[in-house]
Amino acid sequence: MTRALIISTGLLLAAVVAMGVYLHFLRRNERERAQNVPDSRPISAPVAGPASRVTFYLAYDDPGVVRAQEASIALPADPAQRGREILHALLGEYVKRPSSHELPAGADVKDVFMMSGNTAVVDTTPAFAEGHRSGVFVETLTVASLVKTLTANLPGVTQVKILVDGKERETLAGHADLECFYDVATVEQLLQQLQ
Amino acid sequence: MPWSERRRRTNHTVVVAILLLVLLASAPSAEEKQLSIYGPRVSYSLPVSEYNGQDYVALLEVLEPFGNVSAGGDGNGWKLHFNNVEAEFQQGGNLSKIAGQKFGLPSPFVLENNRGLVPLHALPAILALMLATKAEYHEAARRLFLGGAATRFTTDLREGGLSVKFSAPVDPLISTEPGKLKMTFTRDPVVSNAYILRLENPLISSVAFSENNGRAELAVQGKVPLLAQFAAGGKTIDIVPAPSQAQSAPPAAAPETTPVAVAVPPPPTLQSLTAKPPFVVMLDAGHGGDDRGALLSETLEEKGVTLAFARRLRSELQSHGISAVMSRDADVTVPVEQRAAMADAARVAVFVSLHAASQGRGVRVYTAMINSATNMPGSFVPWDTAQAGHVLTRRALADIVKAEFGKHEIPSTELSAPLKPLNNVAAAAIAIEVAPSGADVGSVNAGVYQQRIAAAIAEAIVVSRSRVEAER
Repeated sequence: MTRALIISTGLLLAAVVAMGVYLHFLRRNERERAQNVPDSRPISAPVAGPASRVTFYLAYDDPGVVRAQEASIALPADPAQRGREILHALLGEYVKRPSSHELPAGADVKDVFMMSGNTAVVDTTPAFAEGHRSGVFVETLTVASLVKTLTANLPGVTQVKILVDGKERETLAGHADLECFYDVATVEQLLQQLQ
Repeated sequence: MPWSERRRRTNHTVVVAILLLVLLASAPSAEEKQLSIYGPRVSYSLPVSEYNGQDYVALLEVLEPFGNVSAGGDGNGWKLHFNNVEAEFQQGGNLSKIAGQKFGLPSPFVLENNRGLVPLHALPAILALMLATKAEYHEAARRLFLGGAATRFTTDLREGGLSVKFSAPVDPLISTEPGKLKMTFTRDPVVSNAYILRLENPLISSVAFSENNGRAELAVQGKVPLLAQFAAGGKTIDIVPAPSQAQSAPPAAAPETTPVAVAVPPPPTLQSLTAKPPFVVMLDAGHGGDDRGALLSETLEEKGVTLAFARRLRSELQSHGISAVMSRDADVTVPVEQRAAMADAARVAVFVSLHAASQGRGVRVYTAMINSATNMPGSFVPWDTAQAGHVLTRRALADIVKAEFGKHEIPSTELSAPLKPLNNVAAAAIAIEVAPSGADVGSVNAGVYQQRIAAAIAEAIVVSRSRVEAER
């Protein structure tokens, strides 16, 4: 094998390896870009049913309170679906601008599951946590509003667990614990302090 | 040279280069250079960078603990504002202007990623101008003392051991190696001339003081295993024989080569676990390292604010004679569970988690969101509900902290919050979230504001100490 042939073969092999590495990075960048696009598609189909009175516990960043507010929305009969629609409407209040407690676009509830009667599991969209403002107080307001609104409108639910995109997450945005089950009694105590 | 021979040599060169790279990568890195600065109320350490063989330090980071500081670059120029003082530097220039006076730097000013670095040699003079205070610099050890900050000590050799008395409470890192007990002072401005004192004593053979790389060290060489005991609120450290030696004095002719493995504090025994541990406060500076916390403004990260505030609070507590330890004292990642585990292992009396926010005004005091009903009787404490047994003390502490904020005219709110790791701490645990004092978000990092808050918290802990002690 001549020297020129060895050099040419080596250069070709190096080019193949370099192209392979470049292709790998291109694919990875494309994958990450696709993941970072906020999913703003509607989560659930519009509900057709009789309008029901519900109570939202709305958070207000200023002056830092949670207040009850009556509303009338169409709700299905199944408790889990009712829970999903109620929280969908609640988070809708926070996503619109201006809002008393802003949440990022795409923050929504994907589903609500009822477990053994008294425990509700709320599965939220990735945008709910990824774009949430970081801070003990703002995160606490979100959790308190969500848990209290759900339990106030679904009698018998005493514990709430919050998931993000079907998975357990350590904290909402660095502070509020999402690994625990929220107990209605302790959230009630917090709400008394937030009146 | 034939082609095959050249290729063989090239291969050898490549193999040797790879081996060298592997060896370099696996070799232990040299200790990072540190500068320690001691002020009348704050003490802290900063990394020292090297440029053209000269030591440099970031001026903004040096001044941050002393007040409101901001800086910005404009081309090659760099301006710094500290309280009402202004300083101007030029990238690569030796001439600067500080507080309206021309100032010559011994080595050129360095601007790196918008961080202004000044030669370490010039720092004492720069600080003397900017802080209008006396600066004493121990150059060989890189220790800078401002405003006359100094803790002096005397040693008193007695029959039962060695008593070291300090002019102010100290909190050294105590470590041992066979036959030796070392006290390393990083935060305490302990000063003395370097010396080695050789003693004719059956327990202690020598005492040596030295300074190096931003810290001071007092080393006690022993003939028996030694133990350090704190007394007088941290102003006295008694070096005494470890318990096994104290019970049976060593024979006079004991061979000095006997290996002595000393543990300080000694390994926990059933007795030591049931005895009431000393009153220690753990300060948990939220976030750190990879976890920056909230982005309070374009340039202000929560992790930096909490660390600066924790250092202030530690100094404030120490000035009241209360021992304080920190869950982190640098920009490092510490998982939240590990913070609680550290507090529980150290059996601290009070745990204070520190956070900062850009929303709202004043300070928010948090306690854990947990029911006292979930507490379980028995010797073992469940991890998830470790805080349940401290419901009364944490509420009392939070009430007193809020009352002290009122006395200091700092607006505050008291709430429960689902904040990690409060539930996992088996001690009176609270969290403090510092919000801006006004419209300017940067005020959360202002020295004067943080100092007022730290003073109120420290006074609250002093007031609540007897209550906390009674319920431990």
